[in-house]
Amino acid sequence: MPDFNVRSDSVNVEQIMEQIRARIREKRGVDYTEQQIHELATVKLEKFLDPKGVRSDLLEQFRKAQPAYEPPELPNFAFEESTLFESHRAPIRWMRKLLLPLLKLLFNPNPLIQALNIQARLNTMNAEREAKREGARRALDQLYYELIHNLVVETTRTGIEVKNLKMRLESISSRLEFNERRARALESAVVYKPSAEDVAVQRAPAPTVQHPRVMPTPPPSSRPMAPAPTPAPAGSGQAPAAAAPSTGPSGGTPGEGPGQRSRRRRRRRGRRGGGPAAGIMGAPGTGTTETGPTSTDAESGDAHAVAAEDVEIALGAESHPSEPIADSGPALAADAGHDLSTDSGHESSTGSGQGGSDPDAQ
Amino acid sequence: MKVAVVVQRYGPSVNGGAELHARYIAEHLARHGQVEVLTTCASDYVTWRNALPPGVEQVNGIPVRRFRVKHERDPLVFGRRSDRVFEQRHSLGDELDWLDAEGPTSPALVDYVATHATDYDYCLFFSYRYYHAYYGARAAGTRAILVPTAERDATIGLSIFQPLFRSVRALMYNSPEERAMIQAVSGNHDVPGVVVGVGSDVPSNPQAARFRQKYSIRGPFAIYVGRIDQNKGCKELFELFQGYLKDPAGKLSLVLVGNTLLPIPEHPRIRHLGFLDDTDKFDGMAAADLLVMPSYYESLSMVALEAWALGRAVLANGKCDVLKGQCIRSNAGLYYETYAEFVGALEAMERNRWLTGTLGRNGRQFFRDTYDWPVIERKYLEMFERLKKDAPARATDPLPGWFDRRRQDLPAAEDVLAKLPKGPELGAPKPAQREPDGRRRA
Repeated sequence: MPDFNVRSDSVNVEQIMEQIRARIREKRGVDYTEQQIHELATVKLEKFLDPKGVRSDLLEQFRKAQPAYEPPELPNFAFEESTLFESHRAPIRWMRKLLLPLLKLLFNPNPLIQALNIQARLNTMNAEREAKREGARRALDQLYYELIHNLVVETTRTGIEVKNLKMRLESISSRLEFNERRARALESAVVYKPSAEDVAVQRAPAPTVQHPRVMPTPPPSSRPMAPAPTPAPAGSGQAPAAAAPSTGPSGGTPGEGPGQRSRRRRRRRGRRGGGPAAGIMGAPGTGTTETGPTSTDAESGDAHAVAAEDVEIALGAESHPSEPIADSGPALAADAGHDLSTDSGHESSTGSGQGGSDPDAQ
Repeated sequence: MKVAVVVQRYGPSVNGGAELHARYIAEHLARHGQVEVLTTCASDYVTWRNALPPGVEQVNGIPVRRFRVKHERDPLVFGRRSDRVFEQRHSLGDELDWLDAEGPTSPALVDYVATHATDYDYCLFFSYRYYHAYYGARAAGTRAILVPTAERDATIGLSIFQPLFRSVRALMYNSPEERAMIQAVSGNHDVPGVVVGVGSDVPSNPQAARFRQKYSIRGPFAIYVGRIDQNKGCKELFELFQGYLKDPAGKLSLVLVGNTLLPIPEHPRIRHLGFLDDTDKFDGMAAADLLVMPSYYESLSMVALEAWALGRAVLANGKCDVLKGQCIRSNAGLYYETYAEFVGALEAMERNRWLTGTLGRNGRQFFRDTYDWPVIERKYLEMFERLKKDAPARATDPLPGWFDRRRQDLPAAEDVLAKLPKGPELGAPKPAQREPDGRRRA
């Protein structure tokens, strides 16, 4: 607790107590009385209901539905000291008063008077208490209604928020996956960047099957143990997939980068799980027969340009991997061989599976 | 000057607040005149059993005349009559029956006062609520001076005491709050009265180290001195202090001095030392960092005054108007009404040593200005002088008749109490305080 502001030999106890109370208020908020809390609760409810427009007239409706409480008038009697001896006839009253000492000599009416007086007061008190209790109950009903109403609204809001959070989570996980893929693509692009000679060799056999919108395609020459790619005939989508097992040894080949190894692992996994990549892709052969040539024309056969564009795509430029690769099937297979076609097919299937969760779409 | 001090119990071993008050006053007034004490043979305030022999004996040089109590208190009857007069509509006869049940019923004492009142200049009656004060003051007539020692409880709402407050010659109040309460209930503004209180014989050189060594107490501690009883607020004190103990930053322990009627919480930082003699008690108070006073009902806390006399700060229950008023008027103590305030005040006093020191210094000054014996004695003597000059304002009202006593028209005492004004009396000017350079200021 920090020092007090008042630091002198003459202290003011009231001032110190005020400071202590202020500190208590700071620590745990303002000390409200029950009435203030009730008022605040009411105000908060109205404020909460109105701007949100969540059936804000419900409370009013409830209040209207409840009729105003009027305590019933229960019968009671008044009993005072003189009640026993009262009469509307004056002579009788006088006689009774006169004979009162005699009466008291015979028996003691005081306990009776006391008991009946107490009973009358008890009746009144009970009636008042009952009325108060009923009033309190009705007020409590309203309070419960407010409370339940608030709870429902809050629960709904919480449910919506949970849904939102779930969607955000999905979106973030899809972004994460995308980023992972991009990182892998970048990695392979950097490791297998073809030299000028390789590019020259590659340019001759496959001028027509290159597609700009594919993942980086390591040239065959970068893998010494692998056979040279044979240009696949246009329209035969099955060829690269069928050739895949014979492409190379299953173990790490000397000169083979980690990107290749992991790609191969994925490819195997894909085959085990869902059959040929072409199948997963939804019969790329059929689809690509139409689109292949178009894309081929658009490429104009410049391998250098293709490689550069591959890197650009891999860097995650503008297109999302989940975009449907309408024209990539045969061209990709023809260009990069079965290896890449399987890979891209896998990616494509993954992408389409989460297409709806594109973060930008939300 | 010859003064009679009339009190319900008297003796060196009687430690009740009003009884001690009466003994101190008797012994100090004896320096200025002849003082005789009229009291009962009882030593126990619950039963009023005749434990001491009737007759005259000397106590600290003061002649004490004892009278037998007619009957002991029957707790069942007293409880039933208390319920009746405090909670229900009742008659004057019920209240007189209650007074008789409360005791100490000693008609012999009252008869003696009635026959020998003229032998004294004044009769000082202590504690308005007892039989001896009600009937004795009536018997003493214009020589009766009342030291009411009234607390804010339902007894003050009983109708029989209102004429008593109006008919005595003068009232020696303990606090402004007490005066305000009595004036509000009885309308006795014209009866001479002065706020006096009582002093205390505090040793000038208490040995704090001796106390710590004797009872193996280390570290800072707060002390409570008095009967450890629920009626004194001790149960609440235990709850509050146990809450404070949960704060790891707090270092204060609680030392309890006095006989206990409550189980003491078991905690290494709560120590109960039992009943101590005055030397150890004052040593303990001097060794303490502060005194805690949790009582709800006090007409004047002598322990708080003693703590102030020793230069110790006080933490009092703010729900007791008298204690709160004293703290504010003296600037010598903090008060609490809630748990948070209790902890806040304890922390403030624990962590701000200058504050505790300043409160203690203010307390010492307050005690010297207001409750030191020369001040108290002077106030009594001035009142006697004043009464000598003034003629008695009114005669004592006669006791109500047979019929009047049986009229069931008196409200429950608790209802009367509830209507009385609450809160500390802060209208009186604060006592002079010392500036840092030692000068006094108004």
